[in-house]
Amino acid sequence: MNRLAKKYLRPSQIPTKACHGCGIGMIENWLLQALDELGLGPEDVIFGTGIGCVGRQTFATWGGDNFGATHGRALAVATGLKLAQPDKKYLIVVGDGDAASIGTSHLIHAARRNLGVVVICEDNMGYESTGGQFSPTTPAGYVTNSSPYGMVEPSFDPCDVVIAAGATFVAETTATQWHLTVKVVKKALQNDGFSFIHVRFPCNENFGAYALGTRDTLKNLEWIYEHTQGRRADGSPTDFTWRTGIRHDASNSRPEFTRLLRELNARVQARAAGAPAPAGA
Amino acid sequence: MPVEAAATLVAPWVEWARRWTEGRRLLEAGTFALTEGAIAAGCRVFAGYPITPATDIAEYMSRRLPQVGGYYLQAEDELAGMHMCAGASLGGLKAMTATSGPGYTLMHDAYGWAIANEIPLVVVNAMRVGPISGITGAPGQGEFYVARYASHGGNFETIVLSPSSVQEAFWLTIDAFNLSERFRTPVTILTDQVVSDMWEDLFVPADYAALDCVVPRRFNLTMPFYPVGSDAIDVPPNVIGLGTGVCVSAYTHTEEGYDIEEMEAQWAQTYRLINKIRHHRAELTRYETLGVEDAEVIAVAYGAAARTVKTGVLEARRRGVRAGMIRLITLWPFLDELFERDVAYLVCELNYDGQLVREVMRAAPDRRRVHFMGKSAELHTVAEVVAGLEGVARRGRVPELPWIWTAT
Repeated sequence: MNRLAKKYLRPSQIPTKACHGCGIGMIENWLLQALDELGLGPEDVIFGTGIGCVGRQTFATWGGDNFGATHGRALAVATGLKLAQPDKKYLIVVGDGDAASIGTSHLIHAARRNLGVVVICEDNMGYESTGGQFSPTTPAGYVTNSSPYGMVEPSFDPCDVVIAAGATFVAETTATQWHLTVKVVKKALQNDGFSFIHVRFPCNENFGAYALGTRDTLKNLEWIYEHTQGRRADGSPTDFTWRTGIRHDASNSRPEFTRLLRELNARVQARAAGAPAPAGA
Repeated sequence: MPVEAAATLVAPWVEWARRWTEGRRLLEAGTFALTEGAIAAGCRVFAGYPITPATDIAEYMSRRLPQVGGYYLQAEDELAGMHMCAGASLGGLKAMTATSGPGYTLMHDAYGWAIANEIPLVVVNAMRVGPISGITGAPGQGEFYVARYASHGGNFETIVLSPSSVQEAFWLTIDAFNLSERFRTPVTILTDQVVSDMWEDLFVPADYAALDCVVPRRFNLTMPFYPVGSDAIDVPPNVIGLGTGVCVSAYTHTEEGYDIEEMEAQWAQTYRLINKIRHHRAELTRYETLGVEDAEVIAVAYGAAARTVKTGVLEARRRGVRAGMIRLITLWPFLDELFERDVAYLVCELNYDGQLVREVMRAAPDRRRVHFMGKSAELHTVAEVVAGLEGVARRGRVPELPWIWTAT
């Protein structure tokens, strides 16, 4: 077990049940590195997740207090938790189904409220734990087990969605960008507000096998890397390019949601103290 | 036969109302009483979505919670609202949400999570007539079974209470919070448009801090976080944020909260979720009876429906019918023991499909003597109840009446 796993994770729950070559464990290790570099311990962070590959593989690995919500609801649970435990950092580690499909309304409204949590959307570009169906982040035209003729729907970029909704720190990275990922996770943890990081990673068993035609981890990582660069190894342009890096940084520019509620309470109670108390209350 | 009937109310607030007499007498709505009962019980988070006829609870909460250091959250939908309550409760704050049928339907996801993870919270469902949006301002009692089976997958028991007056809504809400703490489970207050919207005489104690009947929130700081295989109650709830290392999830779990896929674990979890309630039914018995001792026909009702039914029973007795009444306050777990008398039963409920009547048929000695009087979107009139009781007592059946359904 590596030093970071020993410090932050539960020995009985790792390694996870992930498939070979899955990026989830590697990305979790990068999150631990960011926490370690910021001097945060397991007691400082509440770890929340959802359902699907990311939920199943990360749940209960975290050594501190943690929860796995029903599908899509991690941010709704975190909204209530943050009221009760406002001084904790929150790592909400979810998949593209949780964040960009079934739970998108919670994502949008948590961003709008500027809820003080860090959302890590680990995106394997489809529903891979159910056997590889397309999701709203599957690139248009790609073959999956529910788009055998190529995905007809356009995909969307969840970073655009949360920026429009009011998130105060937004970044995009991939499983091929270790240093960038650690850097943006650290910045996200230093924003007292809603931070969102979109991390694409390869699924060899399904997306790789059906959309890209290979279960080779390195080839699937290479496909992701090429799409961050906009060109293939042979110099030809890729069919599209992801905009990785910091997408929006307004860190600490507006008050965190639960702080607003605490300030409201202080105002209401100060006003009540100056006025006759309401009877019976 | 005496026209007067012996009345019995079995509920903890019989004693509470005797003990706390200093306070205000108000003319207030059921929604006000539900809100104040929650505040008195220590509720400090409300998360919900406006819906008729529960909206006033949200409005009252938005005013009251900041005054007592609590938090009002207006969720993006009811599904989020109940999950927010579960999160707040896991963080150590007592929480409540309130809704009506269309919103209640969206909460089943959160119900399952809160039930399986033993998270205390209170859900108010002010029922209106349906299905779907139905008639938004009319009462219904269509969620009798939905409230029992509030999540998919089975393997759990639920606690459901129903008040029939504004005053009772106040005390019953405190009771609901207490039971949710003691049993570590969501408790549903199944009320209806009439009880929530109507204004009535309400006594509210002056000093909520003096209500030592309130079960305070405690924290479970050690393993086992989930006493699977045990039926123990009064186990302190788990808390996220105090560094206990607790795990809370959607999966069948071990006593640590780890996900597990084994028959033994499924069995042990189910034993806990069912028997912590079934084995402590005596703690959950709340009902009112009237004149059952000499009755040949007993009317059965709950919530707003019980109000005209009670008047109808008294009127029938004046007319010489040996009528009695059972008003259920605890709806679930169902109080089978109240139906041991081998008499006729007339079940009056606010739906045409017949829900409560099925449980009475199951519990009563002779299901052929269990009669149904369903009405939908408004209360039974006293005349209808009297006609039903007379019909059952003298001719063994409910007469044909407009807007009344008797087929089950």
